[in-house]
Amino acid sequence: MSSFSRSAQQWATFARSWLLIDARMQPPGKIASVCSVRLQGKHKPIYHPLSDIGDHVVVMNTRHIAFSGNKWEQKVYSSHTGYPGSFKQLTAAQMHQKDPTAIIKLAVYGMLPKNLTRRTMMQRLQLFPDDLLPDDILRNLTEELPQPREIPRKLSEYTQEERDAFPMLWTPPEDYRMK
Amino acid sequence: MAARCVLQSAGTALRSVQSDLSSKGLLQRTLGLSQLTFLGSAPCRGLRQVVEKKDGKTTVIEGVIEPTSERPQPPDPTASCPIYRWSLQNKYNYTDVLLLSQFIRSDGGMLPRRITGLCAQEHTKIAICVQMAHRAGLLPDHKPPLPEGHVPKPKSNPPLNRYLTRYSVNSVKPIYKTGLKWCKKRMTVGHPALKNNVRYSPKPLYIKH
Repeated sequence: MSSFSRSAQQWATFARSWLLIDARMQPPGKIASVCSVRLQGKHKPIYHPLSDIGDHVVVMNTRHIAFSGNKWEQKVYSSHTGYPGSFKQLTAAQMHQKDPTAIIKLAVYGMLPKNLTRRTMMQRLQLFPDDLLPDDILRNLTEELPQPREIPRKLSEYTQEERDAFPMLWTPPEDYRMK
Repeated sequence: MAARCVLQSAGTALRSVQSDLSSKGLLQRTLGLSQLTFLGSAPCRGLRQVVEKKDGKTTVIEGVIEPTSERPQPPDPTASCPIYRWSLQNKYNYTDVLLLSQFIRSDGGMLPRRITGLCAQEHTKIAICVQMAHRAGLLPDHKPPLPEGHVPKPKSNPPLNRYLTRYSVNSVKPIYKTGLKWCKKRMTVGHPALKNNVRYSPKPLYIKH
């Protein structure tokens, strides 16, 4: 802002902020892409890959992410430690049950640039399975990012007025009983 | 259609269809639609008032249809399929639960085509959207009724959230070998029947993720 003093402007430009995002009912890939952009600092006009200007990102409710399609059953996470017989393949559902934060962590790790700064950026990413956040992180948070996917409303969440306002598309025949 | 039932004496039991209340004397029971509040507007066809008239030894029970209330007119009343009548073809999705709930039974199944009047293609599209909505958990009150005295097993894991699921959850196998880029085994999202839906973004609809 032009009304800031020089030191305040410097501080506002180069400070590392703490951002919050709620992953409830969101696809983990979209959450991860938003996180990776913020962790690298690509959302800032002063971006340079060598200047360490990424922000901290806190993701909550990672236990309640929603995969599209049948990815919970079809997506397989494979790992091999290098020793013989240690090839492990886990479906996304099994992975999520073992560790509710692993899916988003792996997704963000794969989206960050493959260099040495990746590990420091991963250290700046905080994942929480539920919306219970520690006090020191809560005090640091500055901004909440909007959710990438619009959550559809269940039928029970519509009010009676909205249901009445929706017109009936067809009339059942007079002798039809079961509904 | 008036349901006429002539009884010999007042002592015989009155036969009625779908009545939960019964009281002596003049009975006012409503036939027709059950008390399902999730249905759209005010009754779609006239509810029948059961009127009992007694003259001497004969009792006449008649179902009198009330006149239907005013309903909004569809934009194209000449079409045979309700979706075409309201020009909703290619415009609905699995999230439009208010539309989908008009074509389902209370236990979640689809109503027959000969009753709803849908054309074949739209009936399949609605069935696909209803299936996806059930799997996404958008129709929580339309579950099939459990048998009497059945205690559901305590589920250890919380249910996984999903949306746009094409295949049934238990029928899908994991893709252990996805293959190289030119022959990759993709995971399908959504259904190709909805590929003609109106899209307001320049990107095409991706079914294979």
